[in-house]
Amino acid sequence: MSKIKALVVDDSKIMRSAVKRTLDQLMLADFEYVEAIDGEDALEKFSDEIQIVFLDWNMPRMTGVEFSKAVRQKGNTEHVPIIMITAEKSMGKVDTALNEGGANAYVTKPFTADQVASVLSRYIDKDGNIISENGEQSEKKSFFKDMLNFNKQ
Amino acid sequence: MSELIPIDLAGVREIPAEIITSVKQSVEVTFESISGSRPEYSENGSVDGPMNGIIGHITVFNSHHTLTLMVAIPRETALSISEVFCGMEIPFDSDDMGDLVGEVSNILAGEVAASVEQVGFTGQSSLPTVTRGSDLKLFMPNKPPTARLRFEGGGGGFWVNLALCESRRRK
Repeated sequence: MSKIKALVVDDSKIMRSAVKRTLDQLMLADFEYVEAIDGEDALEKFSDEIQIVFLDWNMPRMTGVEFSKAVRQKGNTEHVPIIMITAEKSMGKVDTALNEGGANAYVTKPFTADQVASVLSRYIDKDGNIISENGEQSEKKSFFKDMLNFNKQ
Repeated sequence: MSELIPIDLAGVREIPAEIITSVKQSVEVTFESISGSRPEYSENGSVDGPMNGIIGHITVFNSHHTLTLMVAIPRETALSISEVFCGMEIPFDSDDMGDLVGEVSNILAGEVAASVEQVGFTGQSSLPTVTRGSDLKLFMPNKPPTARLRFEGGGGGFWVNLALCESRRRK
């Protein structure tokens, strides 16, 4: 299993630690972490080596969605899954993150390991490698629909 | 714009009951998911003395109104929350404790924003700030509408104080 380089973006050190601890405990892959304290910092640290992004929304200087838009505008970054991990819960925010921001998935805080595992299973194969995305838009819409249905329950 | 709250708050003496109920439910859901036990609203907990603890401040706002949340957590309750949330007790005087209470406030504001949207108050949450100290006394704004809510949880009690105001001064 090769290491997956993950960018963990949150202005809270406690939350960055919680994300890393959860990912390590899940043992779905072997992660190597790059941490960023806000969107601007993340944009500086984003490189071709980054394979997956775990992203907060509300941060100083540059929000998570602004970062996500900027990354997608760079081009040739569609293969990098961006997982929003945020306290924002309204469906309007989810819609904005997934459809305007270019994020792939959405997890609300406080998250459980099972929730993270469920999302990651779509981006990491059983050997712990990043899955190359095909048909990303349809998958994204499917997830969004699932989430809408979940919230109606 | 919501019909729940008039733009001009001059004649509004109390925070609408729908918002209070939404906040109470949000507090219960948020602290249950963070600490593992569901806190209960305490009817008789509105009067309190000086506190040795930590306060998270955050707002849910739109162009007309700002709902301020002050999450006042006594030292022992904060230590208990840190143990559950982080898997170990965080020193009360550390930067990490401020970080934790800021994040708890942020999560609560996210829940409140989603909840009050259901009753007609659409807003977004600000970034949190945190104050820590001893012999703290929370002074609410002189002019209503405000509310002070007391909760009792497995890890100890805490308060959530609310203040509703206009987002900008009307000319």
